[in-house]
Amino acid sequence: MADTIPRYHERRTGRRTLLIVIPVAVLAVAPLLWAIISSLRPGDEIFRYLSPVSIRTVVPTTVSLDNYRAVLESSFTLALLNSVIVTAVSVALGLAVSSLAAFALAMIPFPGRTVLFSVMVVSFLVPFEAIAIPLATTFRQAGLQNTLVGLILPAVGNGLAIFLLRQFFLGIPISLSEAARMDGLGWFGIYRRIYLPLSRPSMIGAGLILFVFQWQSFLWPLLIAPAPGVRVAPVAIADFAQESGVDYGQMFAAATLTALVPLVVLLFAQRQFTSSLASTGEKE
Amino acid sequence: MVTQANPRPGPITGRSGPSGSPSASRGRARSRARLRAVATAALFLLPALVGLVFLRLVPSFDAVVSSFTNRLGELSTANFTFLFTDPQFLGSLKTTLLFSLVINPLQIALALFLAVALTRRVPLVGIWRTLILLPIAVPQTVSAIVWGVLFRPDGPLNGLLGALGIPSVPWLVSPTTALMSIIILCSWVGVGYWMTFLVAGIHEIPRSLYEASDLDGATGWKQFLHITLPGIRRPLLFVLVADTVANFLVFAPVRILTQGGPEGSTNLIMNFIFERAYTLSDTGSSAAATVVLVGIVIAVVTVQFRMLPGKD
Repeated sequence: MADTIPRYHERRTGRRTLLIVIPVAVLAVAPLLWAIISSLRPGDEIFRYLSPVSIRTVVPTTVSLDNYRAVLESSFTLALLNSVIVTAVSVALGLAVSSLAAFALAMIPFPGRTVLFSVMVVSFLVPFEAIAIPLATTFRQAGLQNTLVGLILPAVGNGLAIFLLRQFFLGIPISLSEAARMDGLGWFGIYRRIYLPLSRPSMIGAGLILFVFQWQSFLWPLLIAPAPGVRVAPVAIADFAQESGVDYGQMFAAATLTALVPLVVLLFAQRQFTSSLASTGEKE
Repeated sequence: MVTQANPRPGPITGRSGPSGSPSASRGRARSRARLRAVATAALFLLPALVGLVFLRLVPSFDAVVSSFTNRLGELSTANFTFLFTDPQFLGSLKTTLLFSLVINPLQIALALFLAVALTRRVPLVGIWRTLILLPIAVPQTVSAIVWGVLFRPDGPLNGLLGALGIPSVPWLVSPTTALMSIIILCSWVGVGYWMTFLVAGIHEIPRSLYEASDLDGATGWKQFLHITLPGIRRPLLFVLVADTVANFLVFAPVRILTQGGPEGSTNLIMNFIFERAYTLSDTGSSAAATVVLVGIVIAVVTVQFRMLPGKD
């Protein structure tokens, strides 16, 4: 009896919570749905039924994939591919670099550790947009203009990811690594065999930061990779929008395609990211 | 997405080998161990340090140098004197502070509220979380363009308000509502993102704490104050700092939708810096404004670190 009461109570509050959660979810999704619907109708029909709101606002008179066909036959496909490559490499490299640094900052005692951590945190407070201009000059001199490497490098050194991982590493009981050291495991072994396996949720969180940073980046690609061969998707979409006589149907089709990749990533990452740390061993 | 799970046996640096005769002095062994720790730390940190030095610190240094350089290339504070007498800069500073004072509490309160709601036993909870997180995945150029259409005076938002019998709102075209519209757009993008970090934090709080307080008859609000809030101190500090920084740097929506207008009402400091650098080719005062912005951000973040109890 004592066991069933809280559960019944929980289920009821859970249902009531839905009354808050569903409207919020609708608000989050509605603008995207509208963009998707717009991508399925002819470009000149998008603005015709906006006001007053009627059934035609959300239901197209004709549904067609013509916009998608046009977009995929254009150079946008290459831009999308560039975005995928650049982002995937940025996340992989960024996670390796950040987790190694975060581990050293959290675990290995060395003089000047606090100062170094402060420098790293402060460095991510420097707006990247502001330093993009001098940095782009340096990159051009180094011959990195219009290369994928030039697009990837700035995303790898991410202070925010280091900060997040260090915070997490500090929360792992020190007794685990002390015991491992007693058993003769070195720092790299502790990093690899204890901290990385325990840090899956945080690694995914840091990966999400790196992913979002690179997938959203707009000003940097504009400065360093303007050539059509290395153009990324957000720049290509902006180019769409800036064309005179923009076809909004095609623009929304390109937007939908660009949102599809992160959608898949998020469906995978969200579950992992928020999954509980049941195996931490002991809690502080 | 690459994760580094599944530890494989790899090269192990710094493993204490079968070295050292029993007669070796303990002091020397200890100092050698310390030296080895320093060397290992240096190896761990090297890639990140190289990146941060060449990609962040060197260009930042360049910005500081050019902020203290006048048009003739001499060392001078002329750029700062200009800025602090320029009504446009002072206006954008005021707008940025107002923006931050509204959007940060708003986003964090909403994110925390949703995180608590979505860690209860809600049917299909994963789906709701993912849907609310979706807007962050949309490139800013796209979300700006989509919201630009939603905000049109004859757009669907006003159409919806009209259907509810509410008079239409001028959104981006009036100085009184433009900043609010940008806040709505940025919150639409950001709240789900910050919520996700807090959801992860709440999940790490041991279930047993809640069960024990259930037995004590504690209410939901008391559980929130005494278990949830202290339990997520670290992720909350992270969200507080990262969200504040992100909101000081809002740029793309302003650039695409309003260019700082109408009447400078959305001229956030990043837009001011951009216009100085790109439209007016005034590198010096744009760099000076950047230095001011970074100074404010560092000051605010330092206060936030102090405010939350405990170190780290």
